[in-house]
Amino acid sequence: MFFPGAFTHGTFGLEEEKVTVRAHSLRIEEARFGWKLILPAVIIIGSLIIYPIIYNMYLSFFNVKLQGANIFIGLKNYKNVLTDPSFWHAVLTTFIYVIGTTIGTTLVGLGVALVMMRSFPLRGLVRALILLPYIAPVISVVFSWQFFFDPVNGIFMHITYDTLHLFEKRFNLIGSPQNAVIVAIIFNIWRSFPFSYLMILSRLQSIDNSGYEAAEIDGANSWQKFWYITLPELYFILGTIVILRVIWNFNKFEDVYLLTDNVKVLSVYTYFKAFTGVMDQGQGAALAVIQFLLLIGFILFYVRKVLKW
Amino acid sequence: MVVKKKSFIRSIGFALIVLLIVTFAIFPFLQMLSLSLKYQFDWGNPSLIPRKINLKAYKELLNIGTKMRAVPDSIKRLLENKALTRTQKKSILKKYQETGNIFPFLRYFWNSFFLSFTASFISLIIAILGAYSFSRVHYKGQGIIQRGVLFVYMFGGILLLIPLYQIAIKSGLARTGSGSFISLLIIYMVQTLPVSLYMLGNYFRSIPFSIEEAALIDGCTRFETIEKVIIPLSLPAISTVFIYAFMIAWNEYLFASVFLRSYKNLYTLPVGLKALFVSKNAIWDRIMAASVLTATPVVILFMIVQKNLVSGLTSGGVKE
Repeated sequence: MFFPGAFTHGTFGLEEEKVTVRAHSLRIEEARFGWKLILPAVIIIGSLIIYPIIYNMYLSFFNVKLQGANIFIGLKNYKNVLTDPSFWHAVLTTFIYVIGTTIGTTLVGLGVALVMMRSFPLRGLVRALILLPYIAPVISVVFSWQFFFDPVNGIFMHITYDTLHLFEKRFNLIGSPQNAVIVAIIFNIWRSFPFSYLMILSRLQSIDNSGYEAAEIDGANSWQKFWYITLPELYFILGTIVILRVIWNFNKFEDVYLLTDNVKVLSVYTYFKAFTGVMDQGQGAALAVIQFLLLIGFILFYVRKVLKW
Repeated sequence: MVVKKKSFIRSIGFALIVLLIVTFAIFPFLQMLSLSLKYQFDWGNPSLIPRKINLKAYKELLNIGTKMRAVPDSIKRLLENKALTRTQKKSILKKYQETGNIFPFLRYFWNSFFLSFTASFISLIIAILGAYSFSRVHYKGQGIIQRGVLFVYMFGGILLLIPLYQIAIKSGLARTGSGSFISLLIIYMVQTLPVSLYMLGNYFRSIPFSIEEAALIDGCTRFETIEKVIIPLSLPAISTVFIYAFMIAWNEYLFASVFLRSYKNLYTLPVGLKALFVSKNAIWDRIMAASVLTATPVVILFMIVQKNLVSGLTSGGVKE
């Protein structure tokens, strides 16, 4: 079926044009073979990712009924979304969340990577342990974080209230939206710093040592070495980490919602609109489209202004 | 002397920084483990070491020794009667055993396991073929498809959630529990496919073509070379990708919460745990024990493939 023996029957000694014909048909065979292998993946991705996205855009122009036919209402869903102040609040929360987590994750990752470059006893164990936050299921770690801030039994209150007397009374830090967003950011930094640390570490390990040696001869201190040699070498990988982080955290749902439903970033806001109460899925679809456009806009801006591609 | 003292202080400082990083990373896990073993009177105690070890939560979740608790003594005596057949005994016992109220951890565990395993297995097979096509075969349109797979990274779950749910409703799949479960299985398969494709493609490129060539000269078809050369050579990568895909499905909450909403006995662990937390049965030791048991398989799997996974992650094939 897949041209058996095509390579065993040598083409030596054939006339030149015959070789070309044979090479041509080989190329067609090759293409056919390649398509055959990729086809299942293409069909699945096409029908379950690409098609739903288009369908989502279509739905955003309808009053979507859970039973019965949808009613076309034009741009009304968009109008309803954009005139709702709570939507703009969600946009603001999302930006705070994305910017906070992206900067935090990248800086913590960089710091940890610089530490892990030096050799010390038990480094292998330490390197394995600090990956745990990244791989553990979100659902299994959120409760521990919630307990940490628990007003009655939590250690946070124990330290800040009982020991340091920073507050007037015990309270739940995750209980109010303003404080909860900070906790959500710290939680996400905790969960995703291992990823940026790994990326940065693997880049750091490939930096040539001769630059540092030359700098040392010139009498550079370690700060100067970091600023003039390490950082420029890391520029590209840091840029990549930032853009990946922005894309992922812009769409982040579980890390926020499972920790607290007080932080209404766009994904959580859409989830509440589309799957609770009256389940307005048409407006939900419009929200998803807007969220996607915002992300594209942000990325284009970032690529042009920051990465200067 | 002065230099020595300075370097001593420095290494102490460095050790402290390492300690700080490790604490930051694993403290929530230690707290989880500690709390799952504490009695209620011990919860407010900031020390991580329980005053007295409490295994009740684990026993309850794993169904050890809880079966007979609700059965009255008179019935227990009745059951010892040898005249009764086994099925009779069972049906009597069934009436008295505790039902509801306890958290059906093992069932949720099995649901999660079945979903994650099947979805990542199917996705792996499709991805092996696709990744081979990416890395070894050359044809028109290849680049577009490859970039398309990367583009999928841009879409968050929420963008796909509403249309997929609508499709499931309109096609009638969401009307039954098994239909919803199958929809979820397919969704997990799709979600893990791009990652698997990308990671495997990167790995296949690193296998020298000459090995495959030798097999072709020996009369293997292209398809056979995948089976007999590529797969055996990339087993470490394949198992890593499988486990990574498994972890993605195991950790997923968003789709499961929507699709399985009205089918309580089909809940996966994340959905079940969240429901447990908002319910009245929320007791810290039980929740923490369930958390520990949910995290354990993933952590074990991770320890198995740690080295391979790290290099797979850093070579760029990741998705969250």
